[in-house]
Amino acid sequence: MSDDHKHAPMVDEVSEFEILEIAVRELAIEKGLFTQEDHNAWTEYMHTLGPLPAARLVAKAWLDPEFKKLAVEDGVKASLEVGIDWIKTMPTQFGTPSDYCSFRVMEDTPTLKHVVVCTLCSCYPRPILGQSPEWYRTPNYRRRLVRWPRQVLSEFGLQLSEDVEVRVVDSNQKSRFTVLPVRPEGTEGWTEDQLTEIVTRDCLIGVALPKPGKTANDPRPIRKALKPYNH
Amino acid sequence: MSNKPVYDREHHVKKATGIGDPQCFAGEATPARFKVGDQVRVRDLPDLFYTRTQTYLRGTECTVSALVYESPAAEDEAWDNTDKAEWFYSLVFKQSDLWSDYPKTFGGDTLETELPERWLESA
Amino acid sequence: MTLINPEKIALDEEMHARDLENSPINLLEEIRRDGSHWEDLASKWGVDNPDPPWKIWLEATCEVLADKNCALPALERRWEEDDLSEELYKDVPFPERQLLALAHSMIRRGLIDEKELATRKKVVEKRLHMVDQIT
Repeated sequence: MSDDHKHAPMVDEVSEFEILEIAVRELAIEKGLFTQEDHNAWTEYMHTLGPLPAARLVAKAWLDPEFKKLAVEDGVKASLEVGIDWIKTMPTQFGTPSDYCSFRVMEDTPTLKHVVVCTLCSCYPRPILGQSPEWYRTPNYRRRLVRWPRQVLSEFGLQLSEDVEVRVVDSNQKSRFTVLPVRPEGTEGWTEDQLTEIVTRDCLIGVALPKPGKTANDPRPIRKALKPYNH
Repeated sequence: MSNKPVYDREHHVKKATGIGDPQCFAGEATPARFKVGDQVRVRDLPDLFYTRTQTYLRGTECTVSALVYESPAAEDEAWDNTDKAEWFYSLVFKQSDLWSDYPKTFGGDTLETELPERWLESA
Repeated sequence: MTLINPEKIALDEEMHARDLENSPINLLEEIRRDGSHWEDLASKWGVDNPDPPWKIWLEATCEVLADKNCALPALERRWEEDDLSEELYKDVPFPERQLLALAHSMIRRGLIDEKELATRKKVVEKRLHMVDQIT
């Protein structure tokens, strides 16, 4: 490694507490109080919550008018269909820490477009959407979306005509929100799995519209190495 | 230890576990003063300690779009006063009512948010 | 009025009557006295994570202890943590305090033994410092 390489800052020092945490955990596992697998599962669960369940909820709603009605009326109940129990899910059994159990699905129409923000902090429906993106928590997004929503949306590449009502949803109390966008053209006859793929996280926050061919699994840009090494 | 005042620090978890919050406050509010479709105005109350009522809403008229749940207001709950629940309303504002310079071209744009009953008065 | 599940009220009464043995534990006292807190380490090394990297594992340990076998029920652990945080560990910041309280509860409940924890700590410490000896 070259000398001018800058390391990301890290705490290069082991504290007594770090050692104690490991010692307690190892003894507990050895005594059979819990298993290593249980411990891994919980840690990974907390780190890998993602927007997939909400994407599936939207796909189901597009396919089944009855389910759409349920989703709009009772988001918590509808979430059960995609495997998310807001009330009994780990770890607190009434929503993940600092989350509440009121979940509202805001239905777009061809003339109404919802977009979600939390001006007071960064409330986000974590049990069903995972952790919020960094930009969602910035003052830039939080302050400006309520004041200049069309300007902010166009910074995301979303320009909407004047006959569409833009409705900003400010998530300030106990409800958490997601957007149910309009099903795009060109998806006729698609399966639930196909539809789920095009409902990306940004569509669920409301800063993007779903479109055929644009999925969360799109190939990532690949950069060629500057100094390739020939094996 | 036995001389310490006894305070139940886990009363919320005991109440909400397996039921949900705000679900655990259902049925505790005084009857709702407003209904869907009512025109109301956000009051400009003092907020000395804690509030979740945005400053930019104060004094603005809006329409009740839903009665969403019953819960203690954030102003009380922040201090663990949870014995007085009230109705929470989802409210729709016209952007042009919130911001005097909002572009007229987009006069149909709106904003939706939730407030507890104490912050609302009939318009 | 706040309605509380009668089962939970019974637990509360039981916890008050139980009178957790909250006298200091030598091993944990040493850590309380000598251990570096995350906030100090972070500022010393120019790191800005608000939480130590081990916090997620501590949380997982607390959660899985209350799961399945239920070796240490969550409410009882919290009750004891609150109690210990008011006196014995009141000067220790979070989450270091949560960790000390957890170890305290586990020792006093006989889930682990102070001596074996001390031994294990030495073993872990040696493992973590092994890298220093080869570079």
